[in-house]
Amino acid sequence: MNTTLAVTRIGHACQLIEFGDTRVLTDPWFTQKATYYPGEPVAATVSELGRIDALVISHEHYDHCDLDALVAGGFDLDTPVIGPGTVAELARQRGFRNVQAIESWESATTGDLTVTATPGKHGVHEVTFVLQAGGRSVFFGGDSLRVPELDEIPARFGQVDLALLPTNGLCLRPLNMRQVVMNAEEAAALTAVLNPVMAIPQHYAFHSGQLGDRMITRGNQDPRHYADAVARLAPQVAVRLVLPGTRVEVPHAALTS
Amino acid sequence: MTPTPEAGSLRPTRTETHVLDTPAGPVELTVQDRDRTRPYLLLHGGGGVATMTGFAGLLTERTHARVLLPTHPGFAGTPRPEALSSVVGLAKTYVALLDQLGLSDVTVIGNSFGGWLAAEIALLDSPRVSGAVIVNGIGLDVPGHPATDVRGLSPAELSALSWHDPAKAPRPTGTGPGPDVRALLNYTGPAMSDPTLAERLGQVHVPFHVLWGESDGIVDLEYGKAFAAAVPMSTFTPIPRTGHLPQLESPEELLGALLDLGNH
Repeated sequence: MNTTLAVTRIGHACQLIEFGDTRVLTDPWFTQKATYYPGEPVAATVSELGRIDALVISHEHYDHCDLDALVAGGFDLDTPVIGPGTVAELARQRGFRNVQAIESWESATTGDLTVTATPGKHGVHEVTFVLQAGGRSVFFGGDSLRVPELDEIPARFGQVDLALLPTNGLCLRPLNMRQVVMNAEEAAALTAVLNPVMAIPQHYAFHSGQLGDRMITRGNQDPRHYADAVARLAPQVAVRLVLPGTRVEVPHAALTS
Repeated sequence: MTPTPEAGSLRPTRTETHVLDTPAGPVELTVQDRDRTRPYLLLHGGGGVATMTGFAGLLTERTHARVLLPTHPGFAGTPRPEALSSVVGLAKTYVALLDQLGLSDVTVIGNSFGGWLAAEIALLDSPRVSGAVIVNGIGLDVPGHPATDVRGLSPAELSALSWHDPAKAPRPTGTGPGPDVRALLNYTGPAMSDPTLAERLGQVHVPFHVLWGESDGIVDLEYGKAFAAAVPMSTFTPIPRTGHLPQLESPEELLGALLDLGNH
């Protein structure tokens, strides 16, 4: 398969994934609040995104499901939205007209693109995704914890070209430091299982403001910890730490028997 | 030596009165404004300000600092007075900028030509500048390790010299972000180095940190070590799998190396 696979992180877990001409946007986030800051420049406004063929959303938290920003920015409400039932309900309420709800191991298709929900775990109901088109495949980890079922992905889907994984190990201070996102070490261990051609960390720059970082959340903001752990656990996997707005083309897997 | 400034005078407390339109009518507020935000001055190289923009955003957002990113006069079509024609002259201009903005505890970071400029700023002994970081700087004469002359190179040749992995280089868009050699030569002269710099660097009195993309094909790793060796008490940190433009090729690694200082 000669389909070009490219990814541009817009910011946080919002990724613009291109399978040839098919353009998919994940977990949209374009605004900020008093206790939610991207912690990095956001690479595009809603109107600068250009055509989007599918919107794929892992869960309903504001920093992953900024539907209000999309609506305010004039986003095409006929764009297919794919996500778990919790997200589907919100999307319909906001006026999206083409919404498909999928839960773990269920698939939806739009055009050439097949999106399969894979298990996830977070503070609220969350799924992760395997996206496939033109013979290329991407695992999108949202901001999930590492759950054992994700280890089934290679057996079910074969070669993963690109893994997009959260790495900040976010803990919630008011909930006794309950961990709600996989950390760098856990993400690297999952990377070793998925064995993608390339892995790109996401969901690490985010912060909750000066007091919020001390009272609400604790997260690791340094993506090098993930790169170092992958170098140790899966040295064959290329890790790219990318600033928002940098378009990265993912090489094809080497042909092996 | 200029006289030592009085404590607090470089960034004085400013007391200002603001008049606000509120539902209760105009309200006059008197506010003391005390600012110790950490400032950075980021200095670009021959590739222009675009080579620093992404890193400026990263540095600002991740460190919650104030980051100044000037365009050197003459680059990107900006005006440059005829008499502003040396690296030292440009360095003095930037110290004047810090004076005008009333900043102190400024860390100056420069890449390539900007590294040379940062070194010259450090040598001006401004009480506003508390440190300099050189990232694959040029300007030094290092015996046996000359800087590669980039004049007349094709974009592909330049990319091969500048990047550890040229596949990571941004796709050339039309005219492309090639180095603005003419704007550069106005400051550096045709030799693009200063034979007196190495000796003068012995007079740097502020903390001086040299970071170097190891795969640089323009100024190599030994050149970087010589840059650090010229400055008393400096530190040297190589950045692996990275070429001449670490802020573009490995921005997170560059930021990490900067913030890791003192954590060992």
